[in-house]
This record gives sequence, C-alpha cells and structure tokens, in this order.
Amino acid sequence: MKLTKLGLAAGIALGALMVAGPAMAQVTLKIWSIDGVDRVGIADTFSKEFDEQNEDIVVEYRGIAFDDLVNETLRAFATGNAPDIVSFDNPDFAMFSSRGAMLDITDRIAASEVIKAENYFEGPMNSVTWDGKYFGIPKYTDTIGVFYNKDLFAKAGITEPPKTWAQLTEYAEKLTDPANNVYGATFSARAGEEGTFQFLPIIQMSGGGYDNVNTDGAAEVLDLWKKMIDNGWASRDVLSLGQWDSTGTFNSGNAAMAISGPWEIDRMVEDAKFDWGVALLPTITEGGDRSSALGGFDWGIMSTTKHPDEAFRALEYFAAQDHRIFEEFGNIPARSDIELPVTGVALKDEALKVFQEQLQYAQPRGPHPEWQKISKAIFDAMQQALTGQMSAKDALDQAQATIKGITG
Amino acid sequence: MAKFFNSLRDGVGFDLILVGAAMVFLLALAGLPLVYNVLMSFQQVDMFTLGQLIRPFAGISNYVAVVQQPEFWMVTRNTLVFVVGSMAGQFVLGFALAVFFAQKFPGAATIRGLFLVSWVMPGLVVGAIWSWILAGDFGVLNSILRGLGIIQSNIFWKSDPSFSIWAVIIANIWLGLAFNMLLLSVGLAAIPRDLYEAAELDGANAWQRFWTITLPMMRSTIGAVLSLGLIGTLQQFDLFPALTEGGPANTSNVAGYWSWQLSFQLYDFAKGATVSVMMFVLVLFASILYVRSTRHEVRG
Repeated sequence: MKLTKLGLAAGIALGALMVAGPAMAQVTLKIWSIDGVDRVGIADTFSKEFDEQNEDIVVEYRGIAFDDLVNETLRAFATGNAPDIVSFDNPDFAMFSSRGAMLDITDRIAASEVIKAENYFEGPMNSVTWDGKYFGIPKYTDTIGVFYNKDLFAKAGITEPPKTWAQLTEYAEKLTDPANNVYGATFSARAGEEGTFQFLPIIQMSGGGYDNVNTDGAAEVLDLWKKMIDNGWASRDVLSLGQWDSTGTFNSGNAAMAISGPWEIDRMVEDAKFDWGVALLPTITEGGDRSSALGGFDWGIMSTTKHPDEAFRALEYFAAQDHRIFEEFGNIPARSDIELPVTGVALKDEALKVFQEQLQYAQPRGPHPEWQKISKAIFDAMQQALTGQMSAKDALDQAQATIKGITG
Repeated sequence: MAKFFNSLRDGVGFDLILVGAAMVFLLALAGLPLVYNVLMSFQQVDMFTLGQLIRPFAGISNYVAVVQQPEFWMVTRNTLVFVVGSMAGQFVLGFALAVFFAQKFPGAATIRGLFLVSWVMPGLVVGAIWSWILAGDFGVLNSILRGLGIIQSNIFWKSDPSFSIWAVIIANIWLGLAFNMLLLSVGLAAIPRDLYEAAELDGANAWQRFWTITLPMMRSTIGAVLSLGLIGTLQQFDLFPALTEGGPANTSNVAGYWSWQLSFQLYDFAKGATVSVMMFVLVLFASILYVRSTRHEVRG
C-alpha cells in the first residue's frame, strides 16, 4: 500500500517533469515599445499573440512612455541589458543603427517568405536603412496634409483647396473672421520634433533636405507663415501648440484649415460639426515638387540579442499581421501591397485616400545618427524667423551652419 | 575594549557614528553623482561610453562648445530674468501675505493654511492649469484683462517672445508663494510682541515698526528664504515642459531646462553635464549664503 502511494507520487512527479520539460528549452525575448502604456497598440497585442502561439518562446513585453523610450534603451544598451526587439520612432532609428546597436537583417529579409523589402514604401524603408543595409522594418507610417472646412470654404466662395503655399495664405486671409473667432489656418510650429515634422517638408519641396536647409523656397514659405501669424490669419499660439491641440481648434470650427495627419481622422469624424475634406500639402509653385512628412515607428532587433533567429521570427509574425493594424489600431501599414479596408464612413474613407497618395511623397527625417540636434537647429530657425528675431533667410543660414557642424 | 564600546554608546564614538552615517549617506547619494557629473563635463560621452567611467578626456572643449552655442547668452539672460523675477515676486507677495495673515482676524490661520494647497500641487499639474489660463485665444487671463480694459487685443503669453519667460515666471510665483509665506510667517511669529508694544508706546507708526523691528528681526529668516528661493527657482523644471518647452526660439529657455534638453532630447550628455556644472557653481554660492545666514541664527 505504502509502495503504491510512493509509486503514484513518483509517477506524478515524473509527469510534472515531462510537462515542464519543454520549458527548459524556452527562449525569452524582451520586446520594448510605447504601445500599451496609455492604450492598446500594435506591439503589446502582437507580442502577446506571438507568445501564446509559440511554445518554445516566452515574450517579456514592456511598454515604455514615448518620452523615455530612447533614453531607457540607451541606458539598457550601455549596461548590457538591452531588449531583443525594440520599436523606435523613425527619426530615432538611425542613432542606433549607425552605431551598430541594431542587428543587420539584410540577408534574413532576402531569405524571408514573409518580409519583402519591395513591399514597403520607400520613405519608411529608408528610415531603417543605413549604409545600404536593412536594420529593421517599418511598423506603420503616417504623414501630413491639409484638412479644410468645406462649409467655411463655401461661405467664402472658395471652391478648391489650396494648391500652393501662396494660395493657402491668400485663402487664410479670406477665411479669417475675427468676429466669429475663426482663423484662416492652423499648424504646429512648436519648439520640438513636431515643429520640424511640419516644416521640413517645405525645405524638401524647395529642393533642399535636412543637410541643405537654407533654400530660397523655404525662406519664402517661412515668410508666408510669418505673414499669417502677424496678420492674425493664424493664431500666434501655433508656436506653442502641438498638432493634436492645433487641430482641436479646427474641429471646434475656430480654424478653417489645419495641417495635420491621419491620426486626427477618428476624432474629427466625432467632433467636427461641419463638412470637411483633406488635400495634399501645397507646393511652392503650382505643379512644383511635392513632399510631406514621414511619421510612424520602425521595428528593429538589437545587435546584442542572443536569439536573432527567434527575434526575426517575431518580426515576421508582426509583419504578417500588417493587414490588421488599420482596422484594429487606426495605423496605416507602410506597405504598398495592402489594400486598406473600406470603413463605410465616407469622410474617413475619402481622407484616407488622400493620405495614401500623400504617403508616396513622404520623405524621412534623416536618417542621421545625430538627428535630434539637426532637428533642433531646424525648429529653432523656424521659430526665430516666425517670431521676427531674424529674417527667414538669416535664420536658415544660421541653421545651415549649425547643421554643417553636425554632419561634417 | 569596554571603553571603546562605552565610547560608542555614549561619547565621542557615538558622535562619530552619527556624523559618519550622515556623511556616508550624503557622499553616496549626493557626492558621487556630483563628482560623476563634473567628470562627465570633461569627457567625450556617447551611447557606447554611457556605461563606462573612463572615457576620452575632452579638456575644456565641452565648456567652450556650450558657450559658443548660439542660444547660450539668451539662456543665460533668461535664467537671470527668471530667477530674479520669480524670487522678487515670490518674496514680496509672500512677505505681504505673511504680514497680512499675522494680523488677528477671524479665520486668518485657516486661510493661511489653505494657501499651502498651491505648494502641495505637482509642478506639472500647475503648469497644465496655467497653460490653460495663459492660452492666447481662449485663456482666462486674457478675458479678464480685456474685460478690465487693460488690453485691447489678446496677449499670446506662451508664444510671444517678449512674454514667454514671464508666463513661466507668473506660474512659478504662484507655485512658490505659499512656501515663502509660510517661512516668513514663522519668522514673524518669532518676534516678541512686547517689542512692538514698547515701540508703539514710544510713538512709532506702523511703517517705522516694520522698518526698525520686523525687518531687522527677520534678517536670518529672509536670508534663508531668499537662498532657498534661489535654489528652488534654479531647480524649477516641471513648469517648462508644461508651458512653453523653452520656446518660442529659446526665449523662455533657462539653464536647468536647457541642460535637460541637451542630455535627454539631443543625447549630448557631456554638454548637458557641463551646463549643470555651471549651474552647480551658482547654487553652491547660494548655499554658502544660506549656511551663513542660518549659522547666524543658531548663535543668536
């Protein structure tokens, strides 16, 4: 009797061991991103799914606030505790890839069934490219265009959205109505990445780039922006408002045009009590070169990972879910081979079409390892010109000198 | 041996233990980071050397580079305006309120206590509230000023280069007012009543009493309040990200925020450290003043 009990116990123990057996061979992947901190997003959802679907892999997901992500990763990398997979805002990516902190996955992509480089839009793909090699894949993308209030346009007798910046300024004057607290236009020229995000496209469409900012076209548009602010066609608070708050004034009917991106659409459908549409970002001359900002995050594997194969499998799983991200999270996939589903909300579907067209012109910020310093030089110059501390040309010349010191 | 343990329990040894514990605490938590920061300001730092102690020596090139930044002098000027403006506002209004609440009227102590609410509030919350109050188009302050006929058109407190630093100063005065008032109230309460009575009998009027009794008796308190005010103002950080982010075009950027920007937004840790070392020298100066003024107090 006693013996059987012992045997039973041994059997249970053995059984437990066998169940626990595969756990010994498990690989742990650490994944960091900003998703899941304030709302559910791509990274936390897909990490959990990947964890559940793979017996041999345990995913330790960590959500980090946007402002802390780069710092936290820098610290972790310096002390040897870096995550295996991390998702950065696209201009931050080059700081890591250029210093060998990200794993070169060029060959893995070439061999992959799921991830194909040619399926991605060029701009987002550029942001993960350094020295001709791929160090990651785009996670999603976004860009900016011009939202316009069709009711106010009709009232002012304007039929078409502006095609050039001069036209936008002219319309802003016509649409401004101080008696009803309506500004002609709103945008974000704040002292931060958002400011650069909105102004760099102007430099690019004038033939310049982040390393060539003092173009005549850029100075010209900067003067137009200043004119709008000085004449009260745009609120002076565009200098301190972020894009989300700036577009808030458009939604409440206090601005007739707003420069912002597709992340505004859902809120606008809810809040805006008027008919609105989206147009491509104006150009400098009619029919001139187009450009727009490129937003969105990238995935990358850190070079210190001990499990590159499993980490790449995770990336493949994430990429395979790209067709879900618009419906579930409102993010636009950075891929040309995915058709966005029709939502049935006419305003939303119309707006998305325009943003998808705009995405073809979107150009990345950088890539450059010291992007943050370049960005500060650009938004400082923009603000100096808009506040009248310097002429547009002088401010851009000064920024050019600063940037030259950085890029060498 | 017994003598040694005796001394530990009750004697010089005990004193040494107490002092030693405080020193270890101070050195580990304040001294080491400080030395590390000074060290960093003389080194080249990037993401690969972030975790190391020994890095390429940079000499004073970081200091030269910081001074050569186009925004350096503007930040210096702003820091001075911010410190002097905030301190003057906090001190004068705090003193006025302290004197006011030192008068005996019903509810004086309770209302004075309520003032502490502003001091208890986190800077970021205060910043967010003031950000709404100071908003250009729909801000409360502009509505009030327009209603009173003081201004004709809206002042863009946060976006106008001539007002941006004052927007932060106004919020900072509000934030630090209660602390100033409280310390000064304590100082006022410590002045013996009979001094005032005697002066009154001798025919001194209210102004003379304030000038010849209150102020001289408050000397050490005032010294302490001003030094703490200087340190607190230089340390002020939360209001900047919440209100102006140092903009527009650095017109409201001060040394503390700039140092943070350099380190944690531009990832130029060496320059960030350099700016904070420069600030440290300033705070050190204030601390010496503070220690001197409190020493005076102890010795009577």
